[in-house]
Amino acid sequence: MIGKASKAAALLAGLATLALAVLISYDVLMRYFFNRPQLIVDELAPFLLLLVVFGGVAQTFRAGGHVRVDLVTSHLRPAVRAWLRVLNLVIGVVFLAAVIWVTLQSALTALRYGRVSAVLLYPLWVPMLLIPAGLLLMALCMTGTLIRQWKAARGPRAGRDEVPPSPEAG
Amino acid sequence: MTESVFGAVLIALMFLFFAMGLEICIAMGVVGVLGLLYLKGWSIGLGVVGSIAWSTATNFSFIALPLFVFMSGILLHSGIGKGLFTAVARWVGFLPGGLAVASIFSCAIFAAVSGSSVATSATIGMIAIPEMERRGYARPLIIGSLAAGGTLGILIPPSIPMIIYGVMTETSIGHLYMAGIIPGVVLALMFAVYVIGYAMIWPESAPRVAEDRGSFRSKLSSFREAAPVAILICVVLGSMYLGIVTPTEAAALGSVVSLGLARWYGILNWRTLNHAFQQTVRTTSMVMLIIIFAGIFSHVIALIGTPKALLNTVTSLGLPTWALFTVIFSFLLVIAYALEELSVMIILLPILFPLITGLGFNPVWFGIIMVIWLEIGFITPPVGLNLFVIQGLMPGTGAREVTVGTTPYVIMMVMLVVLLFVFPDLALWLPAQMMPGRH
Repeated sequence: MIGKASKAAALLAGLATLALAVLISYDVLMRYFFNRPQLIVDELAPFLLLLVVFGGVAQTFRAGGHVRVDLVTSHLRPAVRAWLRVLNLVIGVVFLAAVIWVTLQSALTALRYGRVSAVLLYPLWVPMLLIPAGLLLMALCMTGTLIRQWKAARGPRAGRDEVPPSPEAG
Repeated sequence: MTESVFGAVLIALMFLFFAMGLEICIAMGVVGVLGLLYLKGWSIGLGVVGSIAWSTATNFSFIALPLFVFMSGILLHSGIGKGLFTAVARWVGFLPGGLAVASIFSCAIFAAVSGSSVATSATIGMIAIPEMERRGYARPLIIGSLAAGGTLGILIPPSIPMIIYGVMTETSIGHLYMAGIIPGVVLALMFAVYVIGYAMIWPESAPRVAEDRGSFRSKLSSFREAAPVAILICVVLGSMYLGIVTPTEAAALGSVVSLGLARWYGILNWRTLNHAFQQTVRTTSMVMLIIIFAGIFSHVIALIGTPKALLNTVTSLGLPTWALFTVIFSFLLVIAYALEELSVMIILLPILFPLITGLGFNPVWFGIIMVIWLEIGFITPPVGLNLFVIQGLMPGTGAREVTVGTTPYVIMMVMLVVLLFVFPDLALWLPAQMMPGRH
């Protein structure tokens, strides 16, 4: 379920990249040949960038794409590594929860005060909500990994090691 | 707790988190947030987190990042860059070690449309590696020329690391791009001279075949093979150099044109597009999350005044600039052997950049130095990005072969850094000639 949602969000992020390429090229051509810069593009583009970044964070986590240093952990005993990863994931989930809470508050404030963008006048809470939404999806994926990691750390001795970030990634 | 002690504690905590294997982005975020809470309290501190996340992820200049990754992905997966190696080989194949020279030059040319060293190594390597293996080239020669050749992808514009450096340090990306051209060409020539010399001393490492000396007709057909890449170079670099477009816009135009070329020449289907999407989204999310959370961290250490304190300490040593630069660069080289370099650049820039510019170095010049340092990191085991590409294309490649193959190139890159230190104009002359405009 969460896996499917992450994949869908990542696909949306991919399509946002394509939209960025097309929109900005259109803006350049209109400006260069017809001297008509498209202010709409300037306003939509950062919104699409948000979508690329935060639409992809969860799927990137599931693919093990967020860089980690394994210089030290690779020399530890597997069981120690398993517990250390539990600790890592707890820190990660707590941290993300805090960031989700703050960014959600800003989005809600923008909604309450009816803040809108300068040209298109679209409500700003919509793009602002993308940040907590993407991070929430990532936090859920992390929680899933945490549960599997916890089970592995307490399970049979042979399986006591770091688990892959998603069932498919292994 | 005095502020400098607090700064040191935060940095120590960050390294502890790294060592524990916590995701780098989260480690930086946690340390940054802890710092903010200590300095500013709950409500203001957390408010800063939200505003940094928003302002970083909506920064127009960063849009160039996904677009250049996307463009490289399209070029790699659609196969429109494939003809380039064959085309270049028709011209330089007659030289000693001709195919390795062709690999280096085609990497250098491909670098002018690719902002990623991995995509450059992979695109050229897919064709060049089987060809060199078939001719019986020595494995270290193959590994070295493609791993190192690929790193030209980030020195010759466009360049993904230059976008990150430019936005983080508020240096003109256009100027950085122009500054990379001459050092990139110099480096490519150094590589080629090395390969030719190597093949002359050990001819058995690069066996020559009669067909190496191409006919006039085959040289003519090379233009057709190289056409897609040539068109893209004109679109991306031409428009930027003439000052018509910003780097972000050049990236957008390049993406659209490469999609068109992929449709025309190669294969453009859902699979190609989906591969490019995945690559783009993964790289962008990974890098941007580090940049956002590193932004919080650098905000904190700027509040504490760590960069300024460091600069004062360093200047009070009274060492000559060349000695200071040597110390800093040696420190970077040691890290390059151990860690993933792009993340390290993002982590270190908030401290390193004020120090370097405070010592009187040019920001554009230092950007080029950082990129060459990244190149070194990408070809040094155990965590060199380009080495993973080569190992993927040449299964069974051992650590020894890699070290033997790439060490000469590392030495040449260090030589280029020394050259740039002595003659900074190698990098700074071209940006000064640039047309005034949008960059």
